[in-house]
Amino acid sequence: MKKKGVGIGSTFYGTGYGNGFPDVSRAKAVLKEDGKVAVHVGATEVGQGSKTIMSQMAAEVMSIPLNDIIFICEDTKNMPDSGTAAASRQTYNTGNAIKLACEDLRKKVIENAFKELKLNSSVGLTLKNGEIYLKTLPSKNISLKELALCLLKNKELPLIGEGSFTAQTIEMDEETGQGAPYWPYTFNVYGVIVEVDTETGLIDIIKAVCAQDVGKAINPEMIEGQMDGGFAMGLGYSIYEDLGLKEGKMKNKNFTNYLIPTALDVPELEKFIIEDPESTGPFGAKGIGEPVMLGVAPAVLNAIYDAVGVRITQVPVTPDRLLRALKEERRE
Amino acid sequence: MKDINLKINGKSYRLSTNEDMRLIDVLRDELGLLGSKEGCGEGECGACTILMEGRTVNACMVMAFQTDEKEIITIEGLSNGEQLHPIQQAFIEIGAVQCGFCTPGMILSAKAILDKDTNPTREMIRQGISGNLCRCTGYAKIVDAIELAGKLLRNGGNNCEA
Ligand code: FES
Ligand code: FES
Repeated sequence: MKKKGVGIGSTFYGTGYGNGFPDVSRAKAVLKEDGKVAVHVGATEVGQGSKTIMSQMAAEVMSIPLNDIIFICEDTKNMPDSGTAAASRQTYNTGNAIKLACEDLRKKVIENAFKELKLNSSVGLTLKNGEIYLKTLPSKNISLKELALCLLKNKELPLIGEGSFTAQTIEMDEETGQGAPYWPYTFNVYGVIVEVDTETGLIDIIKAVCAQDVGKAINPEMIEGQMDGGFAMGLGYSIYEDLGLKEGKMKNKNFTNYLIPTALDVPELEKFIIEDPESTGPFGAKGIGEPVMLGVAPAVLNAIYDAVGVRITQVPVTPDRLLRALKEERRE
Repeated sequence: MKDINLKINGKSYRLSTNEDMRLIDVLRDELGLLGSKEGCGEGECGACTILMEGRTVNACMVMAFQTDEKEIITIEGLSNGEQLHPIQQAFIEIGAVQCGFCTPGMILSAKAILDKDTNPTREMIRQGISGNLCRCTGYAKIVDAIELAGKLLRNGGNNCEA
């Protein structure tokens, strides 16, 4: 018999290394002779999109087109350390470091512009759309490109901005469990409707939705990609992927028996991006890499419970596991 | 040792191959065509997908000697110089690439789908890429990209179908 059930799973997740462990990111922003800005950072791109969103952040602070940002990462000879691409920390931590580095460079650009423009002070000077100009008299202006050329002539290039950001976390008191081990936290909720076949033990996901708190979406399309990916991983974790560990050995070490979801197994996920800017985040952004997969298994297991009244406490819920649980339930 | 003639991305090759050599070894090790990836090496993941005589095959499961006189297309054969194939363009447009390991195989499976029908349903697309595993994207954006590629092709594409 086929039975339907609804389940939700809601999570909150502290991003970053946490628990008082030093969580430091560093970055450098360099004005080049052609007026472009090179960002040097140790962040690793693994497909999550860090190169893209961090370039966006730099372009925003420097107020220049994205194409004028030269993003250089993953070379320890040429850049400061930004820690690992782990713990969902790069957007928040390294994003902050890049923002600081670019703000530092921006300040230096303005200081140099006021000298080039032969003004009394840098008060009222601003940088927008690649131009540095006096707000009260916009005809007093110099483009970033012109400024770079002047500085090159005066042998004052490269102009370098630096940034370092350390997340605020405090080790938990082992006795009391009190403290502030993580900051910030990311929240989400998954909702799924499943159909359980009580004869075969197969589980079908009929509908799935996810609402993900992101602080501020720097690149909504990429966030959607992360949500889809997290959902698929969470789904695999819930009902397919089983290493079959026995005495420390893996039984299922090929894709023939370690099943990861295919395009036919993953239903379309309805996605909601929730924006609630994090005051300490770069432009309000937070990390979502790991959080997007956490709510899936609780939602699926709750939905199974709703469908057949059996509380399963072990993942993945493979057909044989589910059938065994149903049998036990009937016996009781 | 066996000598084989094969055509890869429109270019003819004559190679002498060992008996135990697979097509993926020919492509990657002999010819330096590193676009095709080897994931599992046992026909399960689809990372090594290429087109042989217009049909998708896993290059890790085809022996080199079986490719004698065959016509093969790999990911390197899709763009026309700098001009990307509509499918490649669509993958970028939609953001269907994350780590990129599955992408070359995915794109060739997409080509096989769209060569048959430039207006497939989402179900047909999912069916057609079901032999290509992706750990990152959850497939949704890939399906979107293949839909878009079909549209580009129906509108004349960007003319880089060789
Ligand atoms: S490498 Fe050929 S199918 Fe996995
Ligand atoms: S993009 Fe990473 S495996 Fe598909």
